[in-house]
Amino acid sequence: MFKKRFNRSSKREKPSIDANENKKSESNQKENVFPSSSKDYLQTIKDHTNNPSDLVVKTISPNITVTYMNSLVDDRTLKEQLIPELIRHKFETPESLKSSLFIPEVDVDDQINHSVLSMYNGTVLIHLDGFSQVVLAKITTTVSRALAAPENESQVIGAQVGFNESLSSNESLIRRYIKNPELCNERFNVGKQTNTTVAFFYIKGIASEQMVNTLRQRISDLKIDSLLDSAVLAEYIDDNSLSPFPQMLLTERPDRFCDGLLNGKLGVIVDGSSMAILCPHAFIEFFQSREDQNLRWPIASFLRLLRFSAVFLSIYLTPLYVAALTFHYEIIPQSLLVPLSESRALVPFPPIIEALLLELIIELLREAGARLPTKVGQTIGIVGGIVIGTAAVQAGITSNILIIIVALSALASFTTPSYMMGNVIRVVRFPLILLAGFWGFYGIMLGFCFILIHLIRQSSLGSPYTAPFYPPRFMDWRDSIIRLPLPFTYKRQKSVRPQNEEKYQPEPINPEKS
Amino acid sequence: MINAFLLFFVIHTTQIGVGIHGFQRVIYQEAKHDAWISVLLIGIATHIIAIFMIKTLEIYGSNDLYGIHQDIFGKWFGNFLNFIYIVYCSTAFFSVLRNYIEVVQTWVFPNLETWFISATLLLLVIYAFTGGFRVIVGISFFSFVLAIWLLPMLVFPLQFTTARSLLPVMENDIMDILKGAQSMTFTIVGFEILNVIYPFIKDKNNVKRHVHYGLLATTIIYLSVILVSIAYFSPDQLNKSIWATLSLFSIVRFPFIERFEYIAVCFWMLIILPNLCLYLWAAYRGSIRLVKVNSTQFVWIFSIVVFMLSLSVETRTEINAVNNYFSKVGFYLIFVYPILLYLLAVMKKKYTTRKERKG
Amino acid sequence: MKFIKVMFIFIFLLITIAGCAEQKLLEQVGLTTLLGYDLGENEKLSTTAVIRQVNPEFQSNVEIVSAENETARGSRAEINRKTSKKIMSGQMRVVLFGEELAEDGIAHHIDTLSKNSDTSGSIIVAVVEGETKSLLEYQFQEIDDIGTHIYKLLEQNIKNEQMISSSLHEVAHDYYSLGRDIAIPIIKRDKEHVEISGVALFDKGKMVGKLSTEESFYVKLSRDLYDSAMFEITIPKEALPESQTKNSPEKIPVVIDTINTKKQVKLINPQTPEFDMHITVNGRMLEIGANMDLDNPKNVKKLEEEIGKSIAKNLERVLVYCQDVNSDAFGLGEYYRSSVRHSNLTHEKWHELYSTAKVNIKVDFTILRSGIFE
Repeated sequence: MFKKRFNRSSKREKPSIDANENKKSESNQKENVFPSSSKDYLQTIKDHTNNPSDLVVKTISPNITVTYMNSLVDDRTLKEQLIPELIRHKFETPESLKSSLFIPEVDVDDQINHSVLSMYNGTVLIHLDGFSQVVLAKITTTVSRALAAPENESQVIGAQVGFNESLSSNESLIRRYIKNPELCNERFNVGKQTNTTVAFFYIKGIASEQMVNTLRQRISDLKIDSLLDSAVLAEYIDDNSLSPFPQMLLTERPDRFCDGLLNGKLGVIVDGSSMAILCPHAFIEFFQSREDQNLRWPIASFLRLLRFSAVFLSIYLTPLYVAALTFHYEIIPQSLLVPLSESRALVPFPPIIEALLLELIIELLREAGARLPTKVGQTIGIVGGIVIGTAAVQAGITSNILIIIVALSALASFTTPSYMMGNVIRVVRFPLILLAGFWGFYGIMLGFCFILIHLIRQSSLGSPYTAPFYPPRFMDWRDSIIRLPLPFTYKRQKSVRPQNEEKYQPEPINPEKS
Repeated sequence: MINAFLLFFVIHTTQIGVGIHGFQRVIYQEAKHDAWISVLLIGIATHIIAIFMIKTLEIYGSNDLYGIHQDIFGKWFGNFLNFIYIVYCSTAFFSVLRNYIEVVQTWVFPNLETWFISATLLLLVIYAFTGGFRVIVGISFFSFVLAIWLLPMLVFPLQFTTARSLLPVMENDIMDILKGAQSMTFTIVGFEILNVIYPFIKDKNNVKRHVHYGLLATTIIYLSVILVSIAYFSPDQLNKSIWATLSLFSIVRFPFIERFEYIAVCFWMLIILPNLCLYLWAAYRGSIRLVKVNSTQFVWIFSIVVFMLSLSVETRTEINAVNNYFSKVGFYLIFVYPILLYLLAVMKKKYTTRKERKG
Repeated sequence: MKFIKVMFIFIFLLITIAGCAEQKLLEQVGLTTLLGYDLGENEKLSTTAVIRQVNPEFQSNVEIVSAENETARGSRAEINRKTSKKIMSGQMRVVLFGEELAEDGIAHHIDTLSKNSDTSGSIIVAVVEGETKSLLEYQFQEIDDIGTHIYKLLEQNIKNEQMISSSLHEVAHDYYSLGRDIAIPIIKRDKEHVEISGVALFDKGKMVGKLSTEESFYVKLSRDLYDSAMFEITIPKEALPESQTKNSPEKIPVVIDTINTKKQVKLINPQTPEFDMHITVNGRMLEIGANMDLDNPKNVKKLEEEIGKSIAKNLERVLVYCQDVNSDAFGLGEYYRSSVRHSNLTHEKWHELYSTAKVNIKVDFTILRSGIFE
């Protein structure tokens, strides 16, 4: 809903802004052009950049001035290629300079703003005295760590490489997976202050054109100050940013990302962020893992069912405990009643307080583990889990059955392959515990219905969030909570509205290939 | 616009609601152990009425009952009939809500206030309704899918049944059996939602098939419940059980859970939710033809009125009176009127085509 | 839109603060696991409740409280005044009736118990020989929790088909039905044990007769069907060929484990009325008090015939007793009602017919297996 309002306002304002900008650019065209003399040129550059300490100005031969940001250009290319080249030859015009340089991205421009801005992307500005144009030679250093295994989405079988923070290396990863000219890659600059590069991927001929247009529109309509991570972008371009449920997948696995693209989804990568956005993404797909494709189908189906039941377990187990012990002692079988009531006997709080307390402790442990360095984090988890758990039972603050339940539901919530969704599942439990503590099963059912309606109401890039269950598409059920053998899943998910529905022409199934 | 295929869920879930909790008693009082024949008869009747409804709607292509009324009877009388239909839908909504509240209060929370249950349910309905038609149909879909597991629970009481209780077949007067069928009205109505939903269906030539599937599913469920009930309870016991279905559930036991009816009663919220949403929606579709109102205003005004009413009807006798009254009116409105309307629509069509030919 | 959202949240908060359901915290309630009713003085009702309580000190203990009042609810209130925790009946498993009360009539109690949504339909009902109070208050040396013990005792026997199933639902079913009367187990104290001593037969709500545990097998055989019950019968020595019965007593005991039974009842004459009851029992022979050669099919046939005859004879004896006390534990009325159109059967009318009813019993017995050693 937030999104809707956001879009509406931007649409209303857009024409006027465009008109203004056009006028401005016309009148300022003269002022925006570089002066031709070296001296004035230098002054202009310094004025526009506020003369930072990492700005380097070098006069190579009397008529050539080179300016660049020391921190952004590749030193080796600069010293071994560009400078010797400039010293060796004499250039008459910027155009001749451009053509003789042996650097992939070279351009000639006379706009001050654009050129100065490009300097911040690692471009060297080469100015020839007497011309109002400059040559832009891009020799960016890539400040990036080496490719490493994805930390948040580990999987046992499959590629062990994850995205890192550099857009170009991420791009190269994707290009290596999909060697196809139809893979489109569009660029946007988002953020008034940060000018972050955003790359938008899709495969032409598969991805729905309407969705591509919508997403393109949403990204280019963004009038935001800064963009530091893709998660932020995902929230801005979500269908409903008020919902706790993420509607776009954030993944750090290039194989998952490419799998999405090949299935007709759209991908967005933000420079400087190791997470890529994949959309549209249905609710159920958050509980699927790329690994399911690598395993044999019965095992994969079993794991998916396990994960899915883990979600229910994780959300409803603690509330059910609270409800049963607060209101519905009748439903507990007698064999369970004795251990339950004996373990509860020493606890001074009502079940709701007890459960909230314990859930809170688990959340604290998890949060502390996430904030601390990996090794310390593990220790904290073990120490906290064992020490606090045992001590709490001995001190009579909680019952040991509840400890089992809470630990189980915490464990279950970690089986969700998407960290974002796992968080939601853990948080959703708290209101449900409250409801259960106030109105027992009736409260739980209220919460259940509310969540259900909420999920039906959501959409991801216009496609229904509860797909493929509602609207029901039985073909797509083959690859939802279960995964049938690959020959059965030759079709792309319909909820993505792919232009080309079939991945390939299925051959008649022949189990024993000779 | 929805697929005709989804009509199955819409028809089925509007039919099954609170009535199934205790319909056995009402029919049993009339038809005794032949009650299942009554259920079968009324089930067949729904199919016949559905045929008439679809035929009437087909004459008009893509217009709903409210539009048909206006066309056949003219603006004034048509709107009067529309008003009656809106009142009917609202009463259905209210009746479902009030009966559910009573069940919750008797079985699970004797001290939970009426206003609380009423308000929370209405809030849920408002949240669903404001999501639009797509969400309402979605709820009825999920309601069916997530609640169908309750049906196999009938296996538990099946161990205690004596099929002999059903014999001798057709011992009672045919009039009693028919009366029993009539008293089933309150439980089996809901498929009239078709009148309103028809214009929203994409592939209209598939409508017939899925409507009948939906009706068939309902009839099968009611039939299996009544058969199990007759065989499970003894005559006087059934006569005294107000909520026989819930009593059936009370025998269900698992190693980890007993007293299953507590869960069933709470879970029933999911089953009545599509009832409430669809009747509310039907009332809304009619109201926009009478007065200028947008959906948000409508749903709030409607909810507040229903909320007030739910507080004013308190005792079991009052609730029963509402049910009986609703059942009586419903019978004529749902099982008699559609045939009449069809005849009128055919006559009107003939009249207009002749006029056109002349003109 | 914004206004509505604010309203939404406001109403939600209001509800959260205001309406909270009545809590029944597990550790704050005393759970009645067993309830015993006796006839008290001056037509009062004496109620004895076995209450399980959870205390931090003793972990869990059982308290036995009794009270006298005119009504069951009144006694409950009185019991509540005698305990530290609120009494709840949602976990009740067994209801016991004293013999005197049972003879006086339990109709009212069955009605109240079925009306209450707290009590489940799977509660087991039984009659106690003598008073329930003295049974429950006796300090058994080896039984900690008398409530659970009696429940497990009855449940185990019913599950193994040693005893007629008597859940509240079934009792209520029989009570409200026209052509079948209640039959429920009787328990009694035998020194330091509680044992099932027989079956109580009812006419409508009143207890009218008693059968021994051995005889209860035949009641169950004619009421329900067996899957796995074990029973013992005797057959006269003369019936079997002499060559096979050397060194055996006059009456040869045979122990049989039924595997499945089939029953067919036909009304052949509605006037008298006269029934044909044909029971087929397939069983496994566990023990026989004679050294028989079971390799010989002739012997087996003979033995089967004799067992069948013996069962039929016993069945007939039990039936005659039931007719004497006018309790239709066999459920013949149900067959009558379902076979005769427009019978307009009432309780009185049926019992009049029942006392003169004639039943031709035929039992077919087949030995399927006789162990691993012949």
